[in-house]
Amino acid sequence: MADLDSLKEAVISGDANTAKAVTEAAVAEGIDVQVIVSDYLIPAMDEVGRRFEANEYFVPELLIGARAMKTSMAVLKPLLADSGVKPVAKVAIGTVKGDLHDIGKNLVASMLEGGGFEIVDLGVDVSPEQFIQSVQESGVAIICMSALLTTTMGSMKDTIQALNAAGLRDKVQVMIGGAPITQQYANEIGADGYSDNASAAVSCARKLAKVA
Amino acid sequence: MPKIQLDPLGVVIELATGASINDALFAHGVEFPCGAKGRCRGCRVRVTEGAAPMSAADQKVFSDEELATGWRLACTMRATSDLRLQLAAYTAPVLADETAFTFTPRDGLGIAIDLGTTTLVAQLLDLSTGAVLAVRSGLNPQAVHGADLMSRLDKATQEGGLDELAVQIHQALAELIAGFADERHPLERVQRAVVVGNTAMHHLFARRNCDSLARYPFESSEMDLSEHRADELGWPLPPATPVFMLPDLGGYVGSDLLAGILATRLHESEHPVALLDLGTNGEVVLGDRHGIQVTSTAAGPAFEGAGIQQGMRASTGAIHACSVHGGVPSYQVIGGGAARGICGSGLVDIVATCLDLGLVEASGRMAHGVKTIPLRDEVVLDQTDIRQLQLAKGAIAGGLAVLLARRGLEPKDLGRVYLAGAFGNYVNQSAGCRIGLLTAPPEHITTAGNTALLGAKLALFEDDLAFTAIRSLVSHVSLKADMEFQDRYVEAMSF
Ligand code: B12
Repeated sequence: MADLDSLKEAVISGDANTAKAVTEAAVAEGIDVQVIVSDYLIPAMDEVGRRFEANEYFVPELLIGARAMKTSMAVLKPLLADSGVKPVAKVAIGTVKGDLHDIGKNLVASMLEGGGFEIVDLGVDVSPEQFIQSVQESGVAIICMSALLTTTMGSMKDTIQALNAAGLRDKVQVMIGGAPITQQYANEIGADGYSDNASAAVSCARKLAKVA
Repeated sequence: MPKIQLDPLGVVIELATGASINDALFAHGVEFPCGAKGRCRGCRVRVTEGAAPMSAADQKVFSDEELATGWRLACTMRATSDLRLQLAAYTAPVLADETAFTFTPRDGLGIAIDLGTTTLVAQLLDLSTGAVLAVRSGLNPQAVHGADLMSRLDKATQEGGLDELAVQIHQALAELIAGFADERHPLERVQRAVVVGNTAMHHLFARRNCDSLARYPFESSEMDLSEHRADELGWPLPPATPVFMLPDLGGYVGSDLLAGILATRLHESEHPVALLDLGTNGEVVLGDRHGIQVTSTAAGPAFEGAGIQQGMRASTGAIHACSVHGGVPSYQVIGGGAARGICGSGLVDIVATCLDLGLVEASGRMAHGVKTIPLRDEVVLDQTDIRQLQLAKGAIAGGLAVLLARRGLEPKDLGRVYLAGAFGNYVNQSAGCRIGLLTAPPEHITTAGNTALLGAKLALFEDDLAFTAIRSLVSHVSLKADMEFQDRYVEAMSF
């Protein structure tokens, strides 16, 4: 029997090798992929996030935890597609135009993925038009924007205005974050959600996707 | 009552015979980054006029030559007769003077200026002898628009902002120069002035368009030497006196680092050496006479004590150092009174000590499940303070790691690592090594003082101020385009 508790433990401690081996063993034994994801991987990432929020973990631990989760997901992804399991929701995430800081954005993306969301990673230096395109073409339900510079955060407002102009604003939820961003700024520009860390970003997204 | 004149502050204080110089200086706003125990050289001052007896501590910490040239510790010094003192904390560059530099004498006087984001320093030199005649320092008045570069650049991109910032800095420097005239130096003999500063400061000084620096791509096409006239700047010098601001090196790496290269002679070194300027915008230079790479890594303001729960700048009440006796840490406070907060050098020292004592784990987490560590008086170290330090030191160490990797080098291959800037001067080097801010072997690390000012001074004697030869050796590495940086950065975050 594959020891799925050790999968959870491996993700929490960032042990990618064990995570992969246990996942493969579990799959070989025919354990339901949905069970692996929702009963082990998602709770494991939730725990990683909890520790990060409580300041027990920092960026390196969060990254290696996410890496371990991803090696496991890589094994499961093809099977998930076959089994017709639906992701919680589809999320497009990117660092805004003119900004290339992506460490925080990547953490948020990993945590959301670990939380069962499907991620469309638009990368860095993402223009309002590219965000809009993701709504039109990929049908994303939530847009996540990250900005680390006081000189680039204005691009979030531009994107929201462009969504309005394109008549798409009521089709998607907008979540923003990054070191200079505040709840007040989010209110000011009319974003639907904000969080100051990657773990809280997941609960925020769950709220917006109405699954929490 | 003995009268003491303080340079470069330009103040004269009077104090009772036998009074402690350290306390008197402190009362006049001069603070030294040490515990005033006669053990280090943190409070060194130089007696330039008058005589001061040597204390036992002086004899221990200074060489005979230093003693002969007037160096004393303020903390063991008493007022006995009239004196003129030079404060080393302000005049690290004057210190660097003593490393005899070769120059071709020129006629007249020259002015060297270090135009910093926070502080301004100007020196008046006799170009025929190389002697420093006077030093003046002040604060950059642009700080009213924000302490960091980005807010100044932001202001510069607004209507009328650039002009406002330019005039502000021209006037502030005019006042420093006017201070030389107050001391009756013959400013009509000034032949030239050389200014150095980071790329943003250069843009603001020379009224260059800041749009591309303030926003993507955070680079500018105008990096060359700029030439001005004293009358155009409103400086109290002969109207046609040329004022040069030296060329920038790339990205945010400005002429202050070009000056740093000149000051450390990095461009002549046979073997690779590094120069680190540890600030909010940290700069890293790595190279030798075959080639030089420069980069800037945005460390954030933790080294200046900002963004730390009880952080403060290095002034009265700041814990600036920490030592362990019999397994028990004790914390040193600037001014000797009650602790009010933690400054950048204190943070480095405290975390290094906590790591040694097992109070903080290699991951940066506080051991035993605590979230704060009480230090002294009301001051505590918070878990988030360590996280801020990890981000800042990781950025510097990660930047150097990228440059080293590009040349296939390891930290131990660096013959020298020069630390420039105020924080670099004060930080405890072994603590810096302990926390992984400095990755080279401790014996290879040297503080280099204000290399920007020293380099500006050296430039006063040069003909080719475009420094074409050095600049052809230099390439700017942009970390934002560097795939490797993120890995190195995260790696360098742990202790
Ligand atoms: C690493 C770094 C860089 C790296 C970036 C590498 C990379 N691939 O990302 C490099 C060296 C390239 C860089 C370049 C620059 N940087 Co920089 N950089 C930093 C640094 C040191 C850390 C940022 C970081 O990664 N933090 C760790 C992550 C995990 O935190 P985070 O991003 O805040 O993300 C968390 C939350 O905010 C939240 N979150 C983030 N995004 C989102 C999104 C959503 C939707 C949600 C819900 C939540 C959320 O969750 C995350 C995890 O908990 C900071 C200083 C500091 N100490 O913070 C400066 C800093 C951000 N940079 C700064 C500057 C100025 C620059 C440059 C312009 C200057 C330069 N020296 O070259 C360039 C610009 C490049 C560009 N075009 O973007 C300034 C910004 C100042 C300002 N007022 O705007 C800072 C603050 C440093 C400083 N000087 O004070 N930088």
